[in-house]
Amino acid sequence: MKLGMVIDLGRCVGCGACAFACKAENNTRNRADGQSYNWADFLIHSEGTFPNTRHMVMPVLCNHCDEPPCITICPGNPEKAGKGKPYRALFKTPEGITLHNPELCVGCGDCQRARGCPYSHEKLGPSSLNGETYSVISLNPAEDEAQPFWVDKASAIPGGTSSGAEVSAKVGTRIPAMNAWQGGELQPIRSDDVIEKCTFCYHRVTNGLQPACVEVCPSQARIFGDQQDPNSKISQILKKEKTFRLKEEKGTKPNVYYVGKYSPRA
Amino acid sequence: MRLTRREFIRASAASAAWMLGGSALAAAQAKRKAGPVKNAFVPRKARPSTPAKGEWVASTCQGCTQWCAIQMFVQGGRITRVRGNEFSKSNHGYCCPRGHLIPQMTYDPDRIKVPMKRTNAAKGRGIDPKFVPISWDEAITIVADKMIQLRTAGEPEKLLYLRGRYGPITQDLLYGTLPKIFGTGNYFSHSAICAEAEKMGPRFTQGYAGYRDYDLEKTNCLVLWGTDPLASNRQVPNTIHRFHEIVARGAVITVDPRLSNAAAKSHEWLPVKPGTDGALAGAIAHVILAEGLWNREFVGDFKDGKNLFVAGSTVAEDAFVEKETSGLVKWWNLELKDRTPAFGEKESGIPADQIVRVARTMAKHGPTTAVWMGPGAAMWPRGTYAAMAVYALNGLLGSIDVVVWEGASGPKLNKFPSKDSFIDELAKKGSKNHVTSNRGHKDMPGLQTSSVNNVPNEILKNPGAVKVLLSTFSNFNHSGTGADRWNQALSKIPFFAHMVTNPSEMTQFADIVLPSTHNSSEGWNIVTNMSNGYAYASIQQNPIKRVFEGKQEETEVMWLLAQKLKAKGFPNLADYYDTIKDPETGKSASNELEFAELVVRFISAPIWDGKEVQKGDAPIKGWAEFKARGMFSGARYPLKKGWGGKFKTETKKFEFYSATLKKALDGHAKKHETTVDDILAVSGYTAKGDLAFVPHYEVPKRHGSMEEFPFTFIDYKSRLNREGRSQNLPWYQEFKKVDPGDVSWGDVVKMNPADGAKLGLKTGDKVTITSQAGSITTELKLWEGVRPGTVAKCYGQGHWAYGRVASRDYAKAVALGANNNEILVDDYDRLSGATARNGGFTGVRITKA
Ligand code: SF4
Ligand code: SF4
Ligand code: SF4
Ligand code: SF4
Repeated sequence: MKLGMVIDLGRCVGCGACAFACKAENNTRNRADGQSYNWADFLIHSEGTFPNTRHMVMPVLCNHCDEPPCITICPGNPEKAGKGKPYRALFKTPEGITLHNPELCVGCGDCQRARGCPYSHEKLGPSSLNGETYSVISLNPAEDEAQPFWVDKASAIPGGTSSGAEVSAKVGTRIPAMNAWQGGELQPIRSDDVIEKCTFCYHRVTNGLQPACVEVCPSQARIFGDQQDPNSKISQILKKEKTFRLKEEKGTKPNVYYVGKYSPRA
Repeated sequence: MRLTRREFIRASAASAAWMLGGSALAAAQAKRKAGPVKNAFVPRKARPSTPAKGEWVASTCQGCTQWCAIQMFVQGGRITRVRGNEFSKSNHGYCCPRGHLIPQMTYDPDRIKVPMKRTNAAKGRGIDPKFVPISWDEAITIVADKMIQLRTAGEPEKLLYLRGRYGPITQDLLYGTLPKIFGTGNYFSHSAICAEAEKMGPRFTQGYAGYRDYDLEKTNCLVLWGTDPLASNRQVPNTIHRFHEIVARGAVITVDPRLSNAAAKSHEWLPVKPGTDGALAGAIAHVILAEGLWNREFVGDFKDGKNLFVAGSTVAEDAFVEKETSGLVKWWNLELKDRTPAFGEKESGIPADQIVRVARTMAKHGPTTAVWMGPGAAMWPRGTYAAMAVYALNGLLGSIDVVVWEGASGPKLNKFPSKDSFIDELAKKGSKNHVTSNRGHKDMPGLQTSSVNNVPNEILKNPGAVKVLLSTFSNFNHSGTGADRWNQALSKIPFFAHMVTNPSEMTQFADIVLPSTHNSSEGWNIVTNMSNGYAYASIQQNPIKRVFEGKQEETEVMWLLAQKLKAKGFPNLADYYDTIKDPETGKSASNELEFAELVVRFISAPIWDGKEVQKGDAPIKGWAEFKARGMFSGARYPLKKGWGGKFKTETKKFEFYSATLKKALDGHAKKHETTVDDILAVSGYTAKGDLAFVPHYEVPKRHGSMEEFPFTFIDYKSRLNREGRSQNLPWYQEFKKVDPGDVSWGDVVKMNPADGAKLGLKTGDKVTITSQAGSITTELKLWEGVRPGTVAKCYGQGHWAYGRVASRDYAKAVALGANNNEILVDDYDRLSGATARNGGFTGVRITKA
């Protein structure tokens, strides 16, 4: 088995539903300190001169690379893992997913830096706010509250409007809309001092569901499945269509492919 | 990561660019041929993980006017996820991005959790109301006392009700009942600031005054005109679902002054100069007629088959025999003969050759061309005629009731009992008072709607006219143009009770604040709408535990208020509500929550009570099954419904010469004992004589001279706007960039780089945008998606209240970004009564702040 995703840019309209579904499914927190915590995000670009202007959107996520530098660079925690045991926090599963084990993560952030994931940054600057850049991997800093929005006790109108802390307390979960899936290594809400990134919705796809971003896409622009199953839709598309991947030159061999063109205008 | 230039070319356009990517591509394919890759990384099995447990419960999204049937994932009384209702024939089981914001809105920490009372008598923007929490009983008592005082003084008409977002059926319990039984003619819907002018197009050609539906499955040429339905307007999920199919099999053409989502993905983008759409539509019609490309089956033909439509020449009316239409030759003679592509280019800025090319493409696809006209082509002074001109293209192409539909009619529902016997003499007298409305005045025909945005003008003229204001789910000093007029008027109203979820801009002027439920997740309702050939009724059923003390405004709050009015000696409203009985038990409600559910059972009973088999979905057996399915769709829209002389116009035909508009204008002129020419002149239109009754080009009206205000301002909607209500969500701010040209956590005004160079302005500069109505300050972005001479800015941001995410500083009333409505001038398309917000009617100047 080798899971992968094809994103059809001809179908995609850049609506953002997939990114919201991912945030809801995986309880990702709000942007802070150069970390987006958007496991699903977008590259957005306009070019040309009026009126021959083109605009395009590319949904992006972890590429679940075959040759993932995020893993090679990950120092992991050999001590905690035990002698002779796999110790890297990032690892490949037999399904081809690049997964993260927070128990072995030391929160070093090496996987975000230069020799790590070529699709990530240690810190995102303002250019990530207009879609010029993004990060696959986000870091939850050490000794930092992982869901600050929902522990904040302040309110706009004391006694009249609520607060994050009050809402989550009343609802009874750490974040009120918490999607309470059960993890193995993975946790539905991350703790401090570990990185986080797209899991290809491991908790869903290993249980017969599609990834959240795939399921909600109104144009069905995302096709997910086993590339080794000759009957799967994804392998049919990979066989027939011209596809490309991000940063081929880095040799990471992504398992997220792009097909089609966002704009029909030349 | 940053994308390389090469990757962008591959992804964005130019088929030749694929060659650049050839080597990478070959490598990718070679790899695939080689079969399973030898992974350098030893796979490790992960421990098992399982999805969240819960159930999908049916509801309805009210994030825009489509009102999609949805399902919410409920885990232990909490809403966590959203999707389209799997039974929906209108959205295919998908919702647009806005639907996914419902859980975040439900749990917004800045929601009002309890009723509040103002303790600072001073009112104004930036003045802290000093709200203090009070009980529901105290709040309702205060409101009821104020109302009783009006009745006692014999002046119930001094109650003003302003409706914002509503339930299409339950609105009848408040908007449709309270003013009548209480006794005021002063009540308004928000509709006039939304899209009402666009409805003038179909109304005065086809006799249909509503939103249209489209057969996108069969449409081969889609013309999106003044609308971006990948983002807003109507049936967004269905459009997203079908768009790529139309791109692949046919043609997609977008007419929009700024590079919209649809424009980015269209074969042709026509960035029309704002407000000149009538000239562009006229030129397209001209080409279709002059080149003999009209649809013979719908429109008919010349008697001898020879095309006599020659530019500049009139045609004898009897030379042409029409079929389903009326007045084609009149239209040509009065308007189209001179609307050459060259004229179109001169006015609209769209090259003549593109006009001809587009007209031919549209004609090639004939009746499978859908011209989807939206508010951007109509919501401006004189917009009625542009709406007619754009919509009439559907007539020329024969698309009417082929791929452009009136829309199906929905399942049968129960209507509320008559309220006539509960209306007393005082109420009858009060209901005749319309002091806050200018609808029907000589210069405000208001044929479609009453101008809610004019209300502050009347209040400021006549400060004693309104003593008590009630308003629901509204935020007019944010959403109405000339927004500051609202601030001034609201501060003059002695008592205002606001029913709302968040402390909005309007709430800052309230004396009593009644927290509302977030109705998709916390309310009970039946919501009706249509798209994709089907009309439906869809439920809202509060499957989650409410976190706050919010109550649903149209049912629960009204029930409580009615009881309180009864206790204080005015029983009529409560007695009327008691006539609404549960369809199974026959009992009326004994508390407000019961009332909310009972009302929903009452409305929807014909769908599930088994008494009558309705056309459409398989019959639903009982209430439990209806709650589980959550919706019922009626029969599919029948093709060519109005053909054969069944259009609801004066002539029963599709009117290119609108006898229907003539009748309406004659009536208005008669009422004011004058001529139609006079009416049009005082209402600000340029047409005279018969031209008034055909779709035609009116030069755009512009507030502000080109010298003083050299830029034309373009206002449009964010695809993440749940009307004005989603900006307090971090997710909205985080993904604001999905609006083309926009920047997350910000609010940019977009200017063409050539203009930026001239003015010495660059991306990131803080600029002040000044119009005749006011000025706002925000960040500049230079962008090629707008025409030189125009600037574009999305509506949505600029909240100085609403919450701590939407505003930069809630306590200090500092806005995040800027609100377009503070610079858009208060003006109208006076024939419809709709508020102007498009069509370049506001000139602005841009200066470095
Ligand atoms: S949901 Fe689908 S159409 Fe929307 S941005 Fe994501 S991939 Fe594109
Ligand atoms: S995209 Fe980055 S994080 Fe994901 S597998 Fe590749 S290198 Fe690792
Ligand atoms: S696969 Fe799952 S985790 Fe990854 S981007 Fe999609 S929704 Fe998010
Ligand atoms: S916002 Fe409108 S289009 Fe989107 S899901 Fe809600 S009702 Fe449907």
